[in-house]
Amino acid sequence: MMEKNQKVIIVPCSGIGKPYGTVSREAAYDVTDELLPGQTQLVPLALLVLGDEESRAVVAGYPAITIDGCKLACAAKMVQQSGGTVAQEIAVLDVYRCHKDLKPLGIAELNEGGQKLAHVLAEEVSSMVDGIISGKKGGKNA
Amino acid sequence: MSDFLEIMLDKFTFKVATDRFYSTEGVWVKEEQGRARIGLSDFIQQRSGDVAFADIRPAGTALTAGEDVANIETIKVNITYTCPVNGKIMEVNPAMSDAPEAINQDPYGAGWLAVMEISDWDAERVRLLDPQAYFEIMKGQAEEETKKS
Repeated sequence: MMEKNQKVIIVPCSGIGKPYGTVSREAAYDVTDELLPGQTQLVPLALLVLGDEESRAVVAGYPAITIDGCKLACAAKMVQQSGGTVAQEIAVLDVYRCHKDLKPLGIAELNEGGQKLAHVLAEEVSSMVDGIISGKKGGKNA
Repeated sequence: MSDFLEIMLDKFTFKVATDRFYSTEGVWVKEEQGRARIGLSDFIQQRSGDVAFADIRPAGTALTAGEDVANIETIKVNITYTCPVNGKIMEVNPAMSDAPEAINQDPYGAGWLAVMEISDWDAERVRLLDPQAYFEIMKGQAEEETKKS
């Protein structure tokens, strides 16, 4: 079993109807499946909303990075309400503002700009994960 | 400190500041000693969603009422707003380039768009709506939006 801070929980937005939620989830998959699979774990926001005991225990046991699609910041709020610690939060919009050429379009399927934005966001989140695990907060938006 | 006319619809509260005038599309105009500060109403910012980018016509641009003054890109839409008065842009809110979310956070204060030099406020004033008149229009628009959702 991993010690605390050897794993970081990633909780993305679960919003539907706008591409920013999709970007947050694509980025989360990128981090947990491709970039840092051994150091991260994806926890679905829906399970936290549901009060799922196992998911609550996971977020209570490890630092979390939340990726929110809008200012409602549901992911960050739900982690806190579930007894977890938001080590760092990031909003898709903040990353998009730094990459205006990567306008995300599409919801079920992101356009090329959206996919690239998701990857940029994933790299940013990975940098945050590295920072948390090493004890130094990372990420340009940190 | 501004006073407000307010309406609550569903879970949303929409405010109209009473110390300024409005265009029908929701651009507010506040006269300040021969100049006009302009911005977007609370209803407009809430309906449009989180602002990603705000492109305002640069300082020095002379505009006739009805010409494009600002393009606002949000997470939902991309909207161009027209200038409610005749005049020249003297100053663009510097926050628009690096923190345009000020429009969402404080639409009647820090989220202003530009300051314009105007030659005759009384002449400009007649084409604008007073707060109560805009409130009635906004209320109708807000009720329509609520029905859609």
